[in-house]
Amino acid sequence: MSTVDYTRELSVLDTKPALRELDDLISKPLETKPNKKFYIALSITLSMLSLLVIGLGLTFYYGIGMWGNNNPVGWAFDIVNFVFWVGIGHAGTLISAILFLFRQKWRTGIARFAEGMTIFAVMTAGLFPLIHVGRPWLAGYLFPYPNQHSVWVNFTSPLLWDVFAVSTYLTVSLIFWYVGLIPDLATLREKTTNKIKKVIYSTFSLGWRFSNRHWQNYEMVYLILAGFATPLVLSVHTIVSFDFAVSIIPGWHTTIFPPYFVAGAVFSGFAMVQNVLIIVRKIFNYEHIITLDTLEKMNKIMLLTGSMVGYAYAMEFFIAWYSGMEMERFTFLNRALGPYAWAYWIMITCNVVSPQLFWFKKIRRTIPVMFVIAIFVNIGMWFERFVIIVTSLSRDFLPSSWAYYKPTYVDAMILIGSFGFFFTWILLFAKALPVVSMAEVKAVVEGAQPSHKEH
Amino acid sequence: MSDSLNSSDKKELWKSLQDYNNDPESLKLKHNEFLDEVTEKFDPEKISGISRRKFLALLSASAALTATACTDYRDKGEIIPYNKRPEEVFPGIANYYASTCNGCGQACGILIKTREGRPIKIDGNPDHPINKGKICAKGQASILDLYDPERLHDPLYNKNVISWKKLDDEIISSLKQTTSNGNEIAIVTGLISSPTTKKVLDDFVVKYPNTKIYSHTLLNDEQRRNAWYECYGTYDYPAVKFDEANIILALDADFLGNEGSSIENMRKFAAKREVVGKTDFNRLYVAEGRMSATGMMADYRISLSPTKQYQFVTALINELTKNGSAFSLDAAAKSKIEKFQFPELNSNEKEKISHLIKDLNANRGKAVIYAGDTLPKEVHIAVNLLNEVLGNMDIYDYSSTSKSLVKQSTQQEISQLVDSMKNGKVGVLIQFDCNPVFSLPEDYGYSSALKNVKTVVTLTEAENESSAAGNYTLPINHPFESWGDANVRSGVYSLQQPVISPIFNTRQKEAILLTWLSGDSNSYKEDTYHQYLMNNFNATIYTKKNPLSDAKEFWYSALHDGVVLFNESSQHSKFNLAAFSDSKEINQVNDFTVHLTESYFIGDGKFSNNGWLQETPHPVSKVTWDNYASVSPNLAKQLLVEMNDLVEIKVNGKSLTLPVLVQPGAENNTINIEFGYGRTVVGVVGKDVGFNAITLMSKNYSSSPFIYENVSIKKVSGTHKLASTQEHHSLDDTFVKDIHRKRKIIQEGTVEKYKKEPNFLHEEKEKLFSITTEYQYTGHKWAMAIDLNKCTSCGGCVTACNVENNVPVVGKDQVLNGREMQWMRIDRYYSGTPDDPIASNQPMLCQHCDNAPCENVCPVNATNHSPDGLNQMVYNRCVGTRYCSNNCPYKVRRFNFFNFRDHFADAYYENDLTSLVHNPEVTVRSRGVMEKCTFCVQRIMEARSNAIRDGKELKGTDVVTACQQACPTTAITFGDANDPDSPIAKLRDHNLSYHVLEELNVKPNVTYIAKLRNTHSQEIL
Repeated sequence: MSTVDYTRELSVLDTKPALRELDDLISKPLETKPNKKFYIALSITLSMLSLLVIGLGLTFYYGIGMWGNNNPVGWAFDIVNFVFWVGIGHAGTLISAILFLFRQKWRTGIARFAEGMTIFAVMTAGLFPLIHVGRPWLAGYLFPYPNQHSVWVNFTSPLLWDVFAVSTYLTVSLIFWYVGLIPDLATLREKTTNKIKKVIYSTFSLGWRFSNRHWQNYEMVYLILAGFATPLVLSVHTIVSFDFAVSIIPGWHTTIFPPYFVAGAVFSGFAMVQNVLIIVRKIFNYEHIITLDTLEKMNKIMLLTGSMVGYAYAMEFFIAWYSGMEMERFTFLNRALGPYAWAYWIMITCNVVSPQLFWFKKIRRTIPVMFVIAIFVNIGMWFERFVIIVTSLSRDFLPSSWAYYKPTYVDAMILIGSFGFFFTWILLFAKALPVVSMAEVKAVVEGAQPSHKEH
Repeated sequence: MSDSLNSSDKKELWKSLQDYNNDPESLKLKHNEFLDEVTEKFDPEKISGISRRKFLALLSASAALTATACTDYRDKGEIIPYNKRPEEVFPGIANYYASTCNGCGQACGILIKTREGRPIKIDGNPDHPINKGKICAKGQASILDLYDPERLHDPLYNKNVISWKKLDDEIISSLKQTTSNGNEIAIVTGLISSPTTKKVLDDFVVKYPNTKIYSHTLLNDEQRRNAWYECYGTYDYPAVKFDEANIILALDADFLGNEGSSIENMRKFAAKREVVGKTDFNRLYVAEGRMSATGMMADYRISLSPTKQYQFVTALINELTKNGSAFSLDAAAKSKIEKFQFPELNSNEKEKISHLIKDLNANRGKAVIYAGDTLPKEVHIAVNLLNEVLGNMDIYDYSSTSKSLVKQSTQQEISQLVDSMKNGKVGVLIQFDCNPVFSLPEDYGYSSALKNVKTVVTLTEAENESSAAGNYTLPINHPFESWGDANVRSGVYSLQQPVISPIFNTRQKEAILLTWLSGDSNSYKEDTYHQYLMNNFNATIYTKKNPLSDAKEFWYSALHDGVVLFNESSQHSKFNLAAFSDSKEINQVNDFTVHLTESYFIGDGKFSNNGWLQETPHPVSKVTWDNYASVSPNLAKQLLVEMNDLVEIKVNGKSLTLPVLVQPGAENNTINIEFGYGRTVVGVVGKDVGFNAITLMSKNYSSSPFIYENVSIKKVSGTHKLASTQEHHSLDDTFVKDIHRKRKIIQEGTVEKYKKEPNFLHEEKEKLFSITTEYQYTGHKWAMAIDLNKCTSCGGCVTACNVENNVPVVGKDQVLNGREMQWMRIDRYYSGTPDDPIASNQPMLCQHCDNAPCENVCPVNATNHSPDGLNQMVYNRCVGTRYCSNNCPYKVRRFNFFNFRDHFADAYYENDLTSLVHNPEVTVRSRGVMEKCTFCVQRIMEARSNAIRDGKELKGTDVVTACQQACPTTAITFGDANDPDSPIAKLRDHNLSYHVLEELNVKPNVTYIAKLRNTHSQEIL
């Protein structure tokens, strides 16, 4: 292995393409008519989405009883899916905001796409708090608004904090994403010959003329928004974890939850971004923009966060034992040995064991293997939420109330449908907007930045 | 004023305002506002009698009337009116009528609560000396039967509607023809507890001399009665003073469950389980093959096959007469006794029996041995002898003997009836409010013989197996629409009065017979039986009691009280030793035995169509909507079966396939099955629920119709899911073993320990503190205490709560899914070994915690705390996040996963009729809303408004919750914890009081009084 020259920054892109080429490459999917493959993909996701529509239709018509939820297990797939999807969103903000602040240039190729995923994941997640309630037509009660009953929401409820956290997150992510899109929209405006597209791009590029002042303001706004979004990466999942940590149920009432949830969210988010990007770079020929180096870096983050999650699992057990409280101890033993042990061991295998393979560079850089591992991570992270929510509830304080939870077909429909919802948005996004930031990528092409050597 | 201006001679024209205003006339007028004329004319007497207030009232009333008239509600008229207009009916205020329960043969006194003319709840009649204001689950839930949409609406002839007159004419002519032919008229009845009904039957026999009366009830006390007759020469056996017995030995006797006068027994038993101020406990030994509700209460429980009871009792007699006895045995008896030894026992059981013998010896005259109704006569005779040997005569209450108005027909009598039916010698068969096709064992051939009877008349409330096999089906009034009386205990005569006029085209069953008796179909009047009953009352009770008041007044006062008491005592007669010496010996069977007992809640199948009762969890197994073969853990291992697996049980060629329930504590070879299930012709609710255990019964039983030998049992393929409200764990599973004790959910002690260390429960307790300032309850603070020493898990509270709070029936599929809606449940935990378990019961309901964890997590404030300590639910505000339920450590919140009003059995209970059962004071909850126990807030509000009306201060004892009112053992106390003199405050400070999950510091307001077990040890396990 050759020695690396650490004095020189590694190139983000594999080659040194002409800037014009980059524009063309990135905007190509937008300018060509969708091909057969796209329609096949869209029909699959729309079929999945229709399952969601039918599942929700049944739920709204008959009631939550269509799901498997029962008396001790008041929350199951609904909130598992919610936490899962919120978690998926986290990678996007982490990549676009935190890595931006840390000047991690390798993020440029994947930032736009990850941000888009954040928005769609949060949208998907946002469905669940609304549909999981028994009377969804009254979900408006969850928002603090002046009303003739003079009834205010309950600010001590973590579920209310969720409402604020998730809506803030969605708003900030959306703005951040949109601001980043402005220079690209302007580029597209210049490129396009289609009149309708021109009007749309003109409107949404807000009169961007690539002037120096524009760039200056843009950079400042982007920096400020990155600053805004950064605490959100930590706060959203912290607050989601409060849904559990603030309660008194053994297995939920745990102070480790905020960092543990954030690590888990980043973990699953990166796995999802990695999965989707591997497909995107293949289909759109972005291998030079979204490089193997970038994927390897993402795998390293997964290794880090996966290990953090593994540490949290171990620590939960230790603290349960250390607390001396019989119920805590029982809850954790019950996870590993009780009726839901299968779910627990799926979680451990997928989340703790499988990412450890990323210690091997070969595996980190082998696309099919990393793809499978990331799928495992996503499965594992879904099961993590299932383990936390369902096993804790199914056997809580009074043994007389214990009951086994089994999902129904409607639960399955809604779970599959949520993926359909998410991927439909992703597909439309890939076809309607540049999935890689043209402006940013151009900025990291070798020689685009002033350097000391070539002064 | 303007009138007066015009009437004066003021000039009509004026030039300016000044001119007008300064006019002396008008100034004068201004000064005297009212003209003389006006004030003179004003006479309050003359103006309309309608005051402004009254006018407004009338206005609103007429508006309301118009509004109601515009709705879909059809006032059919016949639903609402009273049979007899009560003197005072106020909308919104309940009226109570004393009556008598017809649920079983015990004829308990009841109070029927009616609102605006519709009965909505049944409580015990406090003036009734037997049940003293309490009533069992069956009695309470029977209100639902009144509103059962599948009750018969009209008389039927071969499924076609027929008019009463035509039917009466036809049957009268058949009766006359049969009489002239010399053929038999047979009347098959259930248990007759009414002397006037008996008189009707007697009159009927006089009119139609070829009539024979047959009485058949599935579970009856014939074995006990016959034994008593052989021992003492009378069928009327005395009540047992369980409240005076120090030692009670129950032999397969579920006297605290569903045998005999269980409400009375429970009350008396609990009197010696009092821990406030005294610990004068009785000690309960139970020897039984199954695990019964009584077995769960035992201090010492011995697993013993019902076939070994005879041997067990005689061995006890032998043991207790060794050192001489006040009662001398003759040689025959002695030689018989000496033949028997105790059945083979392990060391644990030996120890228990040595305690038992010691206790019985030390408590001669203060103990009672009580055998169950299902045991053979011979065991009862031996038990009577044992009680004589111990000198327990004073424990018998001869002022209250159980009377037998119409004796149960013997096996021979029924066989004869079937023979005559087969031979065509029965012209008319009247099935008088009973279901013999279902309840008679198959081998009588009753149902096939029915085909040879030309006229089969069935008097019934709803279609059943017997009515389906006959041709005339006559709908009869529900008991709450009927007149009646009962005299099942000496010295107690109770009356039954209708509280609603017949909803459908039904008739009082006795009036139907009276019409036929008269021979003229036109003689029927609505008050036929009412008059007959009054006449009989005057002739018997009035003359017997001979009060100072006149007959009418006495009748009304008797109706008001519901019960007439008189002195009717008998004496203990000499024991006839020959009864024992000559009785058959029952040899023990070491093989499998099937023991059939009655279902706890649906009885002998009578309540099959009652959803509330079907859904009440079994006191022991917590299974709803099913029966099963209850087998011991060992037998289950042998058969390689688990809960829900199907087994085939064969008894003398008859077979039944049903699921298994592994019952800790069951005797190894005893298979217990409850009968009453498996009805085939019944409403939607009861149809095909469970398995018909009567198919295993035979007319040719060896010693008791409920115990069968020569049993084979084998596993067959398939499962049938039992809907239990509690998970069943193996007691061997170390993972969850005794978890309820480790978590201090169940805290218990023994009497020995308590006497030595009264504070044993609180010794290691640390004071919990809160980091925030606690809310100070300065006014009332509602709280409940439940004495676990007294709870027998009878389920009375659960049903009372269901009825009071409009709790819906969800159906078996939803119970299987863990979605039962009952606000109150009785948790059952086992500790110890699978062979010798210790059962603990714990009623569990919303604990109304001061620091309620449900409240702070509700995002919309739908559940919150009242200043008087109630954890409230605002249904309107609830969006149904279920977070509160998740965060409830007691899991007492219930979520409406569906609209349970219409979800069960295609909206079976969602109709105009059944909705009448709802308590109008309690919101009917809809889909998507969380609900839970409210501490009967509607009753608190009622008591409060009464206190305000009377200008008195509201006292905690003014409020009685529905569960508290129903509890036969008064285990539940409710009141104001801030009133230091109240019983609840004392119980909260009792040294046996504890809270479940105390260490969470949620500060629950339901205090449990720890159960003390009266064993010889200081340790429980």
